[in-house]
Amino acid sequence: MVLTCPVAMGRTTRQDESSELSRRGLLRAGALLALGGAAAPLTGCDLLDRDEPPPQPDPLAPLLDESLRLAAGLRAAATAHPDLAARLLPLAESHEAHATELARLTGVATASATPTAAPSDAPPTDRSATLTALRKSERAGRESAIRACAAAPAERVALLGSVAAARATHLEALR
Amino acid sequence: MSESAEALAGALTAEYAAIWAYGPVGVRLSGAERKAAVEAEAAHRARRDALVVQLSTGGGSVPPDRAGYALPFPVTDRASALRLAVQVEERTAAFWRAALPVSTGAERDRALAALVEYAVRATRWRRSAGITPLTVPFPGRPG
Repeated sequence: MVLTCPVAMGRTTRQDESSELSRRGLLRAGALLALGGAAAPLTGCDLLDRDEPPPQPDPLAPLLDESLRLAAGLRAAATAHPDLAARLLPLAESHEAHATELARLTGVATASATPTAAPSDAPPTDRSATLTALRKSERAGRESAIRACAAAPAERVALLGSVAAARATHLEALR
Repeated sequence: MSESAEALAGALTAEYAAIWAYGPVGVRLSGAERKAAVEAEAAHRARRDALVVQLSTGGGSVPPDRAGYALPFPVTDRASALRLAVQVEERTAAFWRAALPVSTGAERDRALAALVEYAVRATRWRRSAGITPLTVPFPGRPG
C-alpha cells in the first residue's frame, strides 16, 4: 500500500523550526507506513527518544483503533471460516480504508494503529456464532461512529458519516 | 441562500428524482422486492415533504419538482430495475452526505440518518441484484 506522507503539510518557511518539523514528519510518515503494512525501518528517527511531552490524543483516535480492531476481527473470522472469506474480506478492507483516511485526517497514529492489532477474542468455531459476534461488533462500531459524527467539526463530519454508514451496511451484509 | 439551505435544496432535488425513479423500478419488481420498493419510495416521500416544509419555513427558495427525469439506462426488466434502485439510493445518499458539513445539531442528525438509511438500502438492493461486494467503503462519497 502506498501512502502519501503529509510531511509537507506543516509550516516550512521558518528555518529554526524546520528540523523539528521534519523529525515530526518522519515520525508521522513512519507511523503511516507501519499502518499501511510496509515495514519501513525508521532509521535516524528514534521513537523512544522524545524530548517533549506526547501530544494529546486526537478525539478520533479511538475510532481509528476500532476500525483496525473490526478489520482484524473480520480477517480472523475469514481465516477460521474460509467459506465466509468472500463475504468478510471486503468488509475488512473497508475498515482498513477507513483507518487510512482517519490517520490522514488526524495526523496521529497510535501504538495500536497497525494491521496486526489483534481482536479481543478469537472467533468462535461455530459459523453462526461467528456471524453473530461480528454483527455485534459492527453494531457497536456504527453507534460510536454516529456519536463521533455528531460531535465532530465540519471538516471531519463527511468522512465520519461515511464510516457510520459503511458500518451500518456491514451489519446488513452479515445477515 | 445559506450553505445549509443550498445543500438541503440539493437533497430535495435528489429526493424528487428518487421518488420518480421508483415508478419504473416498482413496475418491474414483484413480491417482496416490490414491497421493498414501495417502502423505499415512501421513505423518500417523507424526506421530500420534511424538506419542503423546512426550506419554505426557513424563508429559502424551494426548488420545484420536474415532470420527469432522465434514467441513466433503460429499465426494461427486473435486473435493470434493481440496478437503478441501487443507483438511486447511492446517489441520494451522496446528497445527504454533502449536507453534513453545513449542518449542526438535529439537522446534522437527520442528514446522517438519511445517509445511513439509504446506504443500507443500497446494500439490500445489491443483494437482491446479486451484486458483489454488497458494500462500498465510503457510502455517499463522490467518485
